[in-house]
Amino acid sequence: MLLAFGNFTADPSVNLQLLIGGLALGAIYAVVALGFVLVYKSTDVLNLAHGEFLMLGAYFALTFLISENLNFFLGVFVLLLVMLVFGLLVHYGIMRRMVGQGFFAIVLITLGIATIIRALLLIFYGPTERARLDLLPQGSFEVGGATVRYVDLIIFGVVAACVLLFFIFFKYTRLGLHMRAVADDIEAAAAMGIDPDKVYAMTWAAAMVMAGVGGLLFGHVTGAIDRSIEAIGLRAFPAAVVGGLTSLGGSIVGGLVVGVIEQFANGHLGTKWREPVAFSVMFVVLLVRPTGLWGRKDLERV
Amino acid sequence: MSSDGLDLRIEDLTVVYGGVTALDSVNITVPPGGFVTVLGANGAGKTTLVRSITSLLYLHKGRVRRGSITLGGESILAKKSPDIVKAGVAQVPEGRKLFPNLTVKENLLCGAASRSDVDAIDDSLEQNLELFPQLRPLLNQTAGLLSGGEQQMVAVGRALMSDPALLICDELSLGLAPKIVHRLFELLTEINERRGTSILVIEQNASLALQHAADAYVLELGRVLIEGTADELRGNPMVQELYLGGGGEAHTSYAAIERPSRRPEAHGRRPPVSES
Repeated sequence: MLLAFGNFTADPSVNLQLLIGGLALGAIYAVVALGFVLVYKSTDVLNLAHGEFLMLGAYFALTFLISENLNFFLGVFVLLLVMLVFGLLVHYGIMRRMVGQGFFAIVLITLGIATIIRALLLIFYGPTERARLDLLPQGSFEVGGATVRYVDLIIFGVVAACVLLFFIFFKYTRLGLHMRAVADDIEAAAAMGIDPDKVYAMTWAAAMVMAGVGGLLFGHVTGAIDRSIEAIGLRAFPAAVVGGLTSLGGSIVGGLVVGVIEQFANGHLGTKWREPVAFSVMFVVLLVRPTGLWGRKDLERV
Repeated sequence: MSSDGLDLRIEDLTVVYGGVTALDSVNITVPPGGFVTVLGANGAGKTTLVRSITSLLYLHKGRVRRGSITLGGESILAKKSPDIVKAGVAQVPEGRKLFPNLTVKENLLCGAASRSDVDAIDDSLEQNLELFPQLRPLLNQTAGLLSGGEQQMVAVGRALMSDPALLICDELSLGLAPKIVHRLFELLTEINERRGTSILVIEQNASLALQHAADAYVLELGRVLIEGTADELRGNPMVQELYLGGGGEAHTSYAAIERPSRRPEAHGRRPPVSES
């Protein structure tokens, strides 16, 4: 009966192609999920504006890399710098005032931020959609009957580098240690002389920079750049939850798993099954492990 | 490399949470290099006192309505918590409040967060490990999985990592075996005597605190009810009745019961602590 929904095939090259596409999509999800996790882990805020952050990154990439026609590396630098400033703005302008408020009040504030970003993009960039970015090499090569695009490989490499960078930052730097301390217990951290305000500001800045990277990458693989690409935030949400909202590594695995599952659902069942299957995976994982695959409850022995 | 102890003066301190008064015109002084204890039951305002000194009231929607707090003659009332740690105040919070997912070493390093003399942090770490040799093999363990006693050692060590002039301990004895609590109090006395660090101990275990402190205050319902030297308080009938279990026999704590005989009364500021 299920067969009526799609065209199953055992052709290995088709499945390999779906796997490659899934991993490429999953890498994008991973970048977005990383942004969710970063903010949630450090500030306890579920940031529903992260898709909009990423959209902001994609539009700024248009401005600095296409319209202003800056040198690629200079353009990327300016893009990330501007994103960093916007991250600080989000903290010092808005989120800072919400510290200590209820969880849902803060979630609603992030929805408000999302609305503001959408409105600002409409005002400054207008309603017309733009062509996707084309700054990365466009070619492809064949492996076992499947096509691998250079763009996907680069995205994969960039995501891996970001993860490695985060890992080193959190494990080996003083600020990274202080961020983890605040995530563990904000009051104890403050009592030790760690300034939670500064840590939160850095977190929002880092999340925004990640969204800049995500927007730059996603801008290369999306159909076109318009105000609907913020939906990537919602689509990457299962990835963050499956990985466990508190685990950076989990968000990467979650992203890849959800990306691959979506591609297989897409290829074998049809496009309309992509999201239902992704969210079903999220539900099943949550039923079995409420903290996600790698999320953890705080260790505490009393 | 010890910092000399600084004096803490709390004058006319009144703290409110919303409309509820938690501290009412409280005056408490810790002399430089002194060892002071504040006793009191649950809800007496002890933890509010700690939060006021360390500027953490805002996390609990509390605020200082009146009064002053000075450290070494300088007001710390308007300072933010990181600046207060920088000024020399370290605390062992109630319930230890370690960072459960960080390792022991990382917990200790967090205690040095306010320090800018990064090179000296390793020395402080080494000093701590000499003070708590049990922690050395546990450095890379996740703190949340340690025993209560080990956790409390990490909490004290973490506070000492900022090389404080004033060390505040909030309910050090809570939920710990008497032997460990005794050892911790002995260490506090050692730190107080050897490094000259001023110490403020907030305690429910009155008999133990009075054995080690020089001066004491009894806090009740947000007010200072009794104050004096530790000896005076031990001899005070009301303190004996309410906090020492009556009759002058300090049997409110298991710690006191476990010991075969009471310590000889001290002639100086502090009783000797090495004979047990």
